[in-house]
Amino acid sequence: MRVVAEEILRIENLHVTVEGTSILKGVNLTIHRGEIHAIMGRNGAGKSTLANVVMGHPAYVITEGSIFYRGQPLEELAVFERARAGMFLSFQYPAVIPGVQVGTFLKKAVTSVRDEAPKGRAFRKELTAAMEQLSMDKSFLSRYVNDGFSGGEKKRLEILQMLLLKPNLALLDETDSGLDIDALRIVAKGINEVAVDSACLIITHYQRLLDLVKPDYVHAMINGAIVQTGGPELALELEDRGYDWLDVTA
Amino acid sequence: MNYQQMAIPPRSEHLWRYTPWPRIHPTVTDEVPKADEVIFSLEGGDAFEAVAPTDHSYDDIARAFLQAAGGSSSRLIINESSEPVHINARASGHVAVGHLELEIKGSAVVFIHISGEPEWVGLHITGTIHPNAQLSFGFINELDSNTKFLRCEDWMIERDAELEHATLSVGGFRCKSDLRSTLNGTGASIRQSVTVNAIGARHEDQHVEIHHLHGRTNSDLVMNSACAGSSHFIGTGLLTIAEGANKSDASQVFRNLLLSEKARAEAIPELEVLADDVSAAHGAASAPVDKNQMHYLMSRGLSPEESQAMIVNGFLLNAFSNLTNKFLIEEMRTRLTVHLECELKR
Repeated sequence: MRVVAEEILRIENLHVTVEGTSILKGVNLTIHRGEIHAIMGRNGAGKSTLANVVMGHPAYVITEGSIFYRGQPLEELAVFERARAGMFLSFQYPAVIPGVQVGTFLKKAVTSVRDEAPKGRAFRKELTAAMEQLSMDKSFLSRYVNDGFSGGEKKRLEILQMLLLKPNLALLDETDSGLDIDALRIVAKGINEVAVDSACLIITHYQRLLDLVKPDYVHAMINGAIVQTGGPELALELEDRGYDWLDVTA
Repeated sequence: MNYQQMAIPPRSEHLWRYTPWPRIHPTVTDEVPKADEVIFSLEGGDAFEAVAPTDHSYDDIARAFLQAAGGSSSRLIINESSEPVHINARASGHVAVGHLELEIKGSAVVFIHISGEPEWVGLHITGTIHPNAQLSFGFINELDSNTKFLRCEDWMIERDAELEHATLSVGGFRCKSDLRSTLNGTGASIRQSVTVNAIGARHEDQHVEIHHLHGRTNSDLVMNSACAGSSHFIGTGLLTIAEGANKSDASQVFRNLLLSEKARAEAIPELEVLADDVSAAHGAASAPVDKNQMHYLMSRGLSPEESQAMIVNGFLLNAFSNLTNKFLIEEMRTRLTVHLECELKR
């Protein structure tokens, strides 16, 4: 008997505007636990909008359609409740929080999501292991969140958070941008670890991350809608042929 | 000139524009009420050297008033101290005034914690940092939330001496501080930070003057305030670089975080540069909490209240980022964090 994995995210006919401009125009997407989906598309296609609207960014207005997380309508959940329910967004441009040390921030985030303060010794061990996996020096913990970080350091901190928060749904918005090949391998290792037991949506421009994190499904997004879905071979084809062949408006 | 001979300064003067003298005087301006003493004690119980009140003639009305009001008068001379020195300044009665003279001849870390519940407190600190000496100085205002507070400081920083000066102001109802430092020798430097958390209807006016009299002197001022409720914060700075004080480097940055629609903040840095070959910069900004910062923290499971508290905490702590002494930074961070945690629980 085939066991159907739990449905984590279901997006139905999603239409979204930002400051009155229509960005998403009828997106449909379902992701189950254990699946890795990748969305590829040109700049401005609506990929990051999709990730941000799922996470509840207040700038985006849903004008039509629905999003369900583990069967529950998402509009019922505030941003922090989504995080506590197991949703995670790795930001393309993570915010800088001056004066807030990374160590303090991580402990607070873990406490909020797990609904209890982590035990000191066990947490230190867990944190050390995750940081070693990402080749992060302990001095990171005393730095201010993303303040003066290089692009690669910001992305590593995002993945570190993902490893500690152990989400059911991981949304990764251009996590590969700004990374050199060594850093990309390290980050990909972290994503693969989390992806085993969660649903994962990777937003990217390039094939290179998908060489290291094998997607089950690849979607091409054009002008605010998913126009083609396929397996990993679609990513190779998009890399090779670009998007014009899928763009009916071109 | 004594206080009774002085004219009330007009509001057109930079220093008195936002908190005019009648608003910070304890009663009516032609009165000099009998003041109780602010009691200074060293943690551990050691006594200060009591000294006769200074007969210095002041041009400034606030200093002249504090002199006329009397109160306590103490002096502390530190030749060298490996451990931080904690001074408790305890105010009581209706009107309390204290004068403290500090003389630093070596390396020292000094904290002053002022507390108490009088209606009005005045404090005048004068300090001399001798050539080649270093002082890291933290001032923590934890006065009762109904107290009016007038604070004046005058620092003389001699050749190759360093002053690190941090203020954390979380107490008092109406506070005016006038902090003046003079870089009085080549190689003298000051790094100064002011952190203010204004809640309720608090009115806080911080005026900082730094005077570069000699060449190759350095100053760095950071002033951060967070204003909630209907509070009003005023930060004014006056930075002067005298003629011939070449190769001096000076900067002032004022940042205000506005946490409610009724909160107000003014940030007014001023420069007077009379030397040719110097580096001098100033900047000021007032803004509400950044929405992207809020969203980022909430996306990590922090509630809106927790997110704002973390941003405010970080913003205020960041004012200490120009300091280098670990005792000073740690103490100021701890005091601020405890204060904000208590505030969050209220």
